[in-house]
Amino acid sequence: MFGQVPAENDTVLRRMVFVREEQSYPDFRVGHAIRVASWFYPNWNEELAQQLLADFDLPLGRRIKRLSRGMRSAVGIVIGLAARAELTLFDEPYADLDAVARQLFYDRLLAEFAEYPRTVVLSTHLIDEVADLLEHVVMFDHGRVVLDAPADDVRGTGMTVSGPATSVEEFVAGCTVWHRHRHRHRLGSRASVSIADSLDFATQARVRAMHLSVETLSLQQLLVHAAGISADEKVSA
Amino acid sequence: MTYVAMPWGIMTFSFLVNVVISASTPTGPNGIYTGGLATIYCFLLVCGTLSMTRSLPFGLMLGVSRRNYYLGTALLVVVLGVVYGLGLTLLQLVERATGGWNLSLHFFRVPWIMDGPWYQTWLTSFVILVLFFLYGMWYGLVYRRWSLLGLVAFIAAQVVVALVVVVVVSMTHNWHAVGQFFATVTVPTLTAVLAGIAVVLGLGGFTTLRRVTV
Repeated sequence: MFGQVPAENDTVLRRMVFVREEQSYPDFRVGHAIRVASWFYPNWNEELAQQLLADFDLPLGRRIKRLSRGMRSAVGIVIGLAARAELTLFDEPYADLDAVARQLFYDRLLAEFAEYPRTVVLSTHLIDEVADLLEHVVMFDHGRVVLDAPADDVRGTGMTVSGPATSVEEFVAGCTVWHRHRHRHRLGSRASVSIADSLDFATQARVRAMHLSVETLSLQQLLVHAAGISADEKVSA
Repeated sequence: MTYVAMPWGIMTFSFLVNVVISASTPTGPNGIYTGGLATIYCFLLVCGTLSMTRSLPFGLMLGVSRRNYYLGTALLVVVLGVVYGLGLTLLQLVERATGGWNLSLHFFRVPWIMDGPWYQTWLTSFVILVLFFLYGMWYGLVYRRWSLLGLVAFIAAQVVVALVVVVVVSMTHNWHAVGQFFATVTVPTLTAVLAGIAVVLGLGGFTTLRRVTV
């Protein structure tokens, strides 16, 4: 990292910040923790820290031990963003935040990234929420890397086709089928199948011609399928 | 604050309790000797443990290397040891001057080891304070690295070491020499031995630190 081995390397460690979920703090108040963090980062932006504290509604004088889980995560996020470290690592610190706070985090993260670009690595289980923020995706399944690609290469590579069963079957013949959805409430024979195919002009035309409806799969669904595929490969191997 | 208010607060409390007791009970001819001073040392052990269990994850978050964190804490301990040792020495002098707080109470004048000249008391207090803190730090690190089971194993290991020493001394019939040592050792020598033990504890904690994960 930065051309050197990072373990116990002060010059490298100085340039990164690691925000984790379940971060434990010493017996500090919120204001203390922020002040201490500001000593460690040359690029620290105090204005941003204060603004974020106000946005997340964090009381400066309260002991961190007495904060709710969500607020404690917010403290970590404030430090992580205001540090403006060249390598910023977020290990699901927003897992305890409510939806409003999470959205606030994503917005601030994007704004911060635009104003002060840096390498941000975040791990998450809430893929759809960050899908638009990602430039590169790495997915782990049982400790192995299952997918490692630029996000743009992954987006749009799958879709769900729905319509009369026979037309759908004709359409998906020859494509990699990921999943056949079962419909219990439909009358008549209708089907809905997820396949690996991108919605280019030719495909769109075919869809229209056969009177089918199509929906591109979200990044989350694509990754779920990718994990499913790798599991099958393991079984067959 | 954990490092300043609590050690002194607890010791002051113990001191006041001893004052009340010695004021309300008839005093023997030699005055009253109490071990209440031990409270500040024991609490420094607790502080040492806390420094590695509660503050270390925060330090690691901010990109402090483990080595720096350890050395920084050790430096803090040395400074604390000097300052607190001085405080204890001054209290000892006041106690001597007031004849045991007018009650013949020996709280800060521990017989033999802390009853001598002020510089000796300062040095000995310093060494013992630092020793307890470093010992506490090692406990904290063992707990972080190997959790409760490891902590118990750590204590068991120390007991085994003591056991081995006892067995070896017995088998080589050296109890006489040991007794001789303890009977003739002077305070400076003992202080030096304690300082050596403190260094060993410091190094032990450092090796445990290398692979502590958060």
